[in-house]
Order: sequence, then C-alpha cells, then structure tokens
Amino acid sequence: MIALKFEFRRPKDVEEAVRLYGEFQGEAAYLSGGTDLVPRMKLGLEKPKVVIDLKRISPLSTVEDQGEWIRIGALARIFDLKENETIKDYFPALKASLEATSCESLQMRGTIGGNLLQNSRCLFYNQSEFWRRSKGFCLKMGGKSCNAIPGANTCFANYCSDNAPALCTLSAEIEFSGPDGTRRLNLEELYTGRAEKPFKLYPGELLTAIFVPKKKSVGGYEKLRIRGAIDYPLLGVGFSYGNGTGKLTIGAVGPKPHSVEMKQFSQGAIQEAAETLLKQVRPVDNTVVNPEYRKRMVPVLAERLVNKVMEGVK
Amino acid sequence: MDRLKVKFVVNGQPVDLNVKPSETLLETLRDRLELTGAKEGCGLGACGSCTVLLNGLPTRSCIVLTAELDDGDEVRTIEGLADGTKLDPIQESFMENGAIQCGFCTPGMVLTAKSLLDRNPKPSKEEIIRSMSSNLCRCTGYKKILESVEAVSSSKVSKS
Repeated sequence: MIALKFEFRRPKDVEEAVRLYGEFQGEAAYLSGGTDLVPRMKLGLEKPKVVIDLKRISPLSTVEDQGEWIRIGALARIFDLKENETIKDYFPALKASLEATSCESLQMRGTIGGNLLQNSRCLFYNQSEFWRRSKGFCLKMGGKSCNAIPGANTCFANYCSDNAPALCTLSAEIEFSGPDGTRRLNLEELYTGRAEKPFKLYPGELLTAIFVPKKKSVGGYEKLRIRGAIDYPLLGVGFSYGNGTGKLTIGAVGPKPHSVEMKQFSQGAIQEAAETLLKQVRPVDNTVVNPEYRKRMVPVLAERLVNKVMEGVK
Repeated sequence: MDRLKVKFVVNGQPVDLNVKPSETLLETLRDRLELTGAKEGCGLGACGSCTVLLNGLPTRSCIVLTAELDDGDEVRTIEGLADGTKLDPIQESFMENGAIQCGFCTPGMVLTAKSLLDRNPKPSKEEIIRSMSSNLCRCTGYKKILESVEAVSSSKVSKS
C-alpha cells in the first residue's frame, strides 16, 4: 500500500512533462518503469504531489543508429536492450551489465534511464518510515549524522546502477530536457560525489537519451552479489577495450562510479589500475557484506574481467 | 483526491474502474476484483509472488500503479489460466512433479513459466533457470519447479 496522496498525469510529450513538473513547484516525480520509484514511495522515501508517467512519450523508448552515435531512449527497457543486436556487437560491456541487472521480469519493466537515475542506497536508509524514524533520520533524510558510521557527517550510500559503470567504460553521453532547454554531458559529469544528492540535476530536468559512440569494443561486467537471481550490486566492475586502450570502471561503492584508463594489461598493470580505483573509494559497513571483503574484491573482479576480455583479443 | 478512470482487460473480461492514483494493480486485483491468486509477499517488487501477466509478460503487480494501465492492456492472473476445469499444461506439470509446497509463490511461478514457454516453447535449462529465478521460493529448493517447466517444454506432461 502506498500511504500517500498524489496526482497522476500522463503527458504526451517532453515539454508537457517538464511543464507539469514546474506546475507542482518541483514536488513531482517522473515515472518510467517504476521499479525503483514505487518501492521508494511505499517506504516513504519519496513523497511527490504528482507522479508524471512518461510511458506515453514514445520517442523516449526507441534505439536509433545515428552514424557516429547510437541513441538509446531513456525509457528503453533493460530486457529489450539486452536483445538489441547493435548493443551485442558494439558494446558487450553494456550487454553484460544489462544481463546482470536485477532479474528478468524486472528487466521487462525497468528502463535504462531509471537504472541510471536510481537513488543511492544504504542498509540504514532503504527501510520503512517506521524503522527510520525509530533509528533517527540520517544525512540522506536531512538528519545530522550518518547511521551506518555513527557520528560521521558524510553519507556513504551506494549508487547501485549496473549499467552506469558499463556506460562509463564506453564514454557514453546523456541528454536532459528541462525548463531551460536541452543539455548533453558526459555520463561521468552527472555525479555530484555526494550520496545524499547524487546527481547534478536542475529541477524538472528529464533524462531523454543516452548516446554511446558507435565504436566496436570488447568488454564485460562483473558483479559482486549474494544472490545471482536478483540483487543490487555490492560492487560492479565494467571494462571495455578498443583501439589499444581500455577503460576500467567500478561502481556500487559510494555515490558514483570511478574510472581509470589502461594501456597495459599485464597482471601488474591490472593490479595497479585496481589500486588507483581503490584509493578513490571508501567502502563502509552499509551493505549486507563486510566492507573489507568488498574492497578486496575490487582487484579480484578487475583481474578476472580484464583477463577474460583480453584473452578474446589475442 | 481525484480518481482516475482506467479501462483494461482482466482474464478476457473488460474492466472499467475509478482508481486512486496510489492504488497498485495488486490491490485492484485482490481487493476490488476478488482475484486473490496473486499474493503480496515483500510488497517492494523483490520476491515475485504478486506476478501476473501484463500483455503476456510477467509483471510484479505490487509495484505497478493501476493508473499506468492503458485501454487494451491485458492482464492475466492465475484464475484466468485454466480453460474451465481443464488446467493449463504448466499447472498440470506443477502438480504432477510436486513443485508446490506452501503454495504462496506458486501462482507467480506458474505465470512466469507460462510466459517463458509462450515466448520460447523449447527453452534451454539455462534459460529456464534465468527466467524462474525472478521468483523467490522459500520451500521447494527450485528443483521440482525447474523439472515441471522442463517437462512441459519437452512435452513429457500429459495433455489430457
């Protein structure tokens, strides 16, 4: 049950959606697949006055070959994308991350845009309102300190998109429409680095498309999780290689993905790349596994993935 | 609060309802249409016990707002699977192979299997596992569930 009163609107185009957002002074939520938003509303983590359902805006769900770029509509479903031939051929890291996302029936409902814009997660945050109120509100809810690390004034919630690390390895760009028009940026510029508010988004901005440079690559995605069936990542590692250069990205540890470019692929070089990434993250005890374990799995998954991908290049 | 007019089809029957924006498809099915086959488990889209078929695809009805449905959308619940007293082969197979214990996950499991077999009548074992792992079961250990789906895909089940 959603113990919340809100209005429900179904705009016909992007302009109408953005206008509606403004009409409700930003107390609005865009709905695509709903696999993240609806549970958040049930838990009282999201309390919009209006839910703006984007599903009737059909240009948002198409995939288009534009020559130098593949344009993926933000509302394209995860399940449809993993069956897409261009994605299979050109972006195997993305394909692997789509396969690793949740489970098949959620892939049929969830969209790539929703996956990218899912809020950051923490064991002490994604709980019922009753639970959170009993514990005392944390930084992510406007409280004064972190509940995972008592006394800390930094939020350590994890950004758990599987597709974001893969898209980072492919140097993807994203496009937003908002009250001030359209803007396009590198995916990696989206993140604030602060888990309380993970995205640099202006009020009303709507993710319309993801653009991936149409260059053939080899690659993959490795995911640390408890259950193979459905979990959010406890650590996600993506890698893509093309034209002599590789890009390794880790996600699900902290509020944003972290990337490093690679020119060498020896064991030493992989370990060095993993070390570089590890210096940028601070896993803490806010998931279902020990933070030390997640940390140790960074070089393990990186080595496994890069070796597997580069084996195919030889 | 404004109610919304929603029209869609459930188990072949058109329905025309006025719903609150916050009403989930699971609530509509269970509380208004008295179709209690879909079960509320986690209520957050994780377990799959509320699975129904929406236009043929397994869908977690606890995280779909009924207001999201369009004219012409077709919902199929476990109540709409049998043809009168004649069970669907996948239902027969679950019974013959003992794939049911407490029964709570069973409607969702059966519908997920039904959707898979409708889209792909001869799935590989790997494809069956991938599809069925969308639904959680806390008693069977999945072996008999997988055997039931395999039995239908290889037509070992009686079609009487």
